[in-house]
Amino acid sequence: MPSTVPAQDSLKGTSLFWKYFRGLFLAVAGPVLVAGASEAWFGYHDQRARLSERLDAEARLAAVKIQDFIEGIEDQLSWTVQLPWSETNGDRRILDAMRLLRQAPAVESLMLVDGTGRERLFVSRIGLNRIEGGTDRSATPAVAGARADRTWFGPVTFQAGSEPFMTVAVAGNRTAVGVAIAEVNLKFIWEVISGINIGRTGMAYVLDQPGRLIAHPDISLVLRVDEAVQRPLRDLRAAIVEGLPGEAAAGQDIMGMNVMAAMIQIPGVNWSVVVKQPVAEAFAPIYAALWRLGLLLVAGTAVAAAFAWYLSRRLVGPIQVLEDGVARIGAGQFDHRIDLPRSDEFGRLAARFNEMALELSVSRQRSERIGRLKRFLAPQVAELIDRTGDDRVLDGRRVEVVVVFCDIRGFTSFSSQAEPEAIIDVLREYYDVLEKVVSAHGATLINFFGDGVMVLLNAPVPTPEPALRAVQMASDMQVSVQKLLVNWRAQHPQLGFGVGLAMGPATVGRIGSEGRLNYTAIGNVVNLASRLCASAEDTEILVDRVVAEAVGSRAPLVELEARELKGFDRPVPVFAVGDGQRSGRSGDSGALDDKRINWT
Amino acid sequence: MKRRGFIALAGGTVGWTASGHAQAMPVIGYLGSETQERYASRLEAFRKGLEGAGYVEGRNVAIEYKWAEGQYSRLPALAKELVDRKVTVIVAAGGAEVALAAKAATTTIPIVFEMGGDPVALGVVGSLSRPGGNLTGVSSLSVEVSRKRLEFMRELRPTSAKFAVAINLASPTSGAQLKNLQGAAEALGVELVVLTASTESEFAGMFAAVRESGAGGLVFSSDPYFAYRSPQLAALAVRHAVPAMTQSRDFPLAGGLMSYGGDFSQSHRQAGTYAGRILKGEKPAELPVQRVTRVELFINLKAAANLGITFPPSLLGSADRVIE
Repeated sequence: MPSTVPAQDSLKGTSLFWKYFRGLFLAVAGPVLVAGASEAWFGYHDQRARLSERLDAEARLAAVKIQDFIEGIEDQLSWTVQLPWSETNGDRRILDAMRLLRQAPAVESLMLVDGTGRERLFVSRIGLNRIEGGTDRSATPAVAGARADRTWFGPVTFQAGSEPFMTVAVAGNRTAVGVAIAEVNLKFIWEVISGINIGRTGMAYVLDQPGRLIAHPDISLVLRVDEAVQRPLRDLRAAIVEGLPGEAAAGQDIMGMNVMAAMIQIPGVNWSVVVKQPVAEAFAPIYAALWRLGLLLVAGTAVAAAFAWYLSRRLVGPIQVLEDGVARIGAGQFDHRIDLPRSDEFGRLAARFNEMALELSVSRQRSERIGRLKRFLAPQVAELIDRTGDDRVLDGRRVEVVVVFCDIRGFTSFSSQAEPEAIIDVLREYYDVLEKVVSAHGATLINFFGDGVMVLLNAPVPTPEPALRAVQMASDMQVSVQKLLVNWRAQHPQLGFGVGLAMGPATVGRIGSEGRLNYTAIGNVVNLASRLCASAEDTEILVDRVVAEAVGSRAPLVELEARELKGFDRPVPVFAVGDGQRSGRSGDSGALDDKRINWT
Repeated sequence: MKRRGFIALAGGTVGWTASGHAQAMPVIGYLGSETQERYASRLEAFRKGLEGAGYVEGRNVAIEYKWAEGQYSRLPALAKELVDRKVTVIVAAGGAEVALAAKAATTTIPIVFEMGGDPVALGVVGSLSRPGGNLTGVSSLSVEVSRKRLEFMRELRPTSAKFAVAINLASPTSGAQLKNLQGAAEALGVELVVLTASTESEFAGMFAAVRESGAGGLVFSSDPYFAYRSPQLAALAVRHAVPAMTQSRDFPLAGGLMSYGGDFSQSHRQAGTYAGRILKGEKPAELPVQRVTRVELFINLKAAANLGITFPPSLLGSADRVIE
């Protein structure tokens, strides 16, 4: 039985399941994906803007810290230029200068110049101090610059080709207080710059106006004073300057790492404070958000798929069960029942199919039975049963029937002389002719036994006017068989054909075992018909009294002399159909035609 | 990036040591002129620097120490031992002699030095910003500020016109320092009495000579041999009642009068940092020589009181630490 084939078929090609699945999946996943994509797009732009803002704020903060460093030194210096120079306060000045060195570790040396521009005091951590040096410093850029702008910043110089230093000069609010000039060791900015953390691994660095590195968390980079090594840092600044204001720029740092950077310019010293953060870290929140979103989308899609799968299964599952069931039933498995315990359309459909299967099963059982009957019953009977679909007509009962017997006269001697082939040919033609006549008259051909044939009327199927019909059929039989006899007699002149019929109650029904089933009639009437047939001459049709009475005058009947028949105590009245004259044995067909019965 | 570098280095080191030694950790060869005890405070600073670079002794780095125990003539042989031992990096800490001994021993193994003098003038490196070769390190400003000690002593003892200076003739910087001091004496208008000592046995005689010469005080030149014997010198100074000044804070802490010199804890810490960076794979040629930023003035008021000396406010005001 092809029980699993239908299920496999349903998954192939354009199965309903995949159609439903695709449709439902798109209906659920589509909006999720569209929403996710737009969220990712806007989120990315928001985050980028936020990153720029954050880096900008970090740069500002870093710049403020660097500026504080410079302003701290400025403040310290401004303390030393508050009082005008006089002869008496020299010691006081020395003390102040010493204290300043103590307070401002970045100041390596301090020079105080009076209102006239003469050097009055020089204190240093490394070199010897000078008191009242007296050298005229008024022409130095530091003094001139400080006098002009109150505060002056010298260019960054690299002592011993390595350490960054800068001269800072601060003038008092009037000329008489003079100018304080400090050599500032910029290595000290390291303490500030290394304390600035941009995110987790980001950092800040400081470039002077020409682009030399002044401060970097890795002090050795500053001390190397290697333009080639520092180039990426300058390039990064250039990228920020060229970029849109307020927008973080992308570039590479010394390690070749991709970074995002922002910059703030410190006025006065004209330094650039650049903050940079590795792209991977700067974009980490963006990436994290995108990842999260991606995961959600994947999860959403998976849920959509699962949902679509579930719904499609729910929809198509019953259909497949139905399809499978129908296929099984169609394949003849009528005992199969579609198991779909649902109260919806599918359930009702399944119930219908089950009912149908039940009916089919019943009908097949019947047709099987009929098929079986057909093998053993006369075809006419079987066909009848087939037509009515009911074999109860074959059940045994007692009914008034007309039994017709006929046989070929002289067949025994013929069959002992003739070749078997000839016998078979004769019988085949004979049977063919009789079967046609019998079925034309709606009679039932009960049996062939050699040349003898038994035909029944009014059973198993009731026939109106069975006696008349039987007589008419017997006449047709005579006519048909006589035509055959014309040819046969050329070789076998002894052959003839006689018919006997009788009417009366008989027990009819199926007899025999399953494998050898027969429908037949049992009763005196069968005997009588058989005896009448045996007693009939060629061309003769003998009927009993019951038939003759039933036919009445509707057929030409001639009462013959009552005959002694075997099995009957008294002579039986016998009637012959026709005018009672027997046609001669040698009579031709023309003679037969003349003796045709005139039916009224 | 850094981590990858470290792993690559660690892997390389494993492969390298597997052929010669059965040790998985990189090895620092530490060359010192004195003993472990005398170096204790320096080693502490060094380890701190090393730790800042991610290395902890015994955990992911081994340190093999070679001590000359004050006999500087042994340094070349000890340096050679470290080279033969194929250490990953040599740390030559505590003076120019150590650095020069290490430099002479190898041109391939990276060397991190720590010294008080000018490494360029001493021929240790070609330049501060680009040391080149296999050396880099840290210089404290101790040698350069010898003259400042004379200035401080003069300020403390303004009435004296004569001061003694202690020179270790075995030190490669002695000549430069003497010149430096003589120039300062000239500028300050004082007379110098030059005393020399290269061994501990000469210390007592030196202090006695100060008294005999009538000098206002004794100024030590910058020299590790002196620096590592600060407690000894402080005891002698107290015993001989000589106002003395050295480069090392250990001196006033041990009872001496005062000190002015580079912050050795800073220099040793930076040496540790550099050793760590070289272990991570950086080339010494790319690490500029660093100079310490801090020069510290320590004053011991107790010693001053014992000597009957009063510190002027300008000195007290600029002292980094005053011991009372």
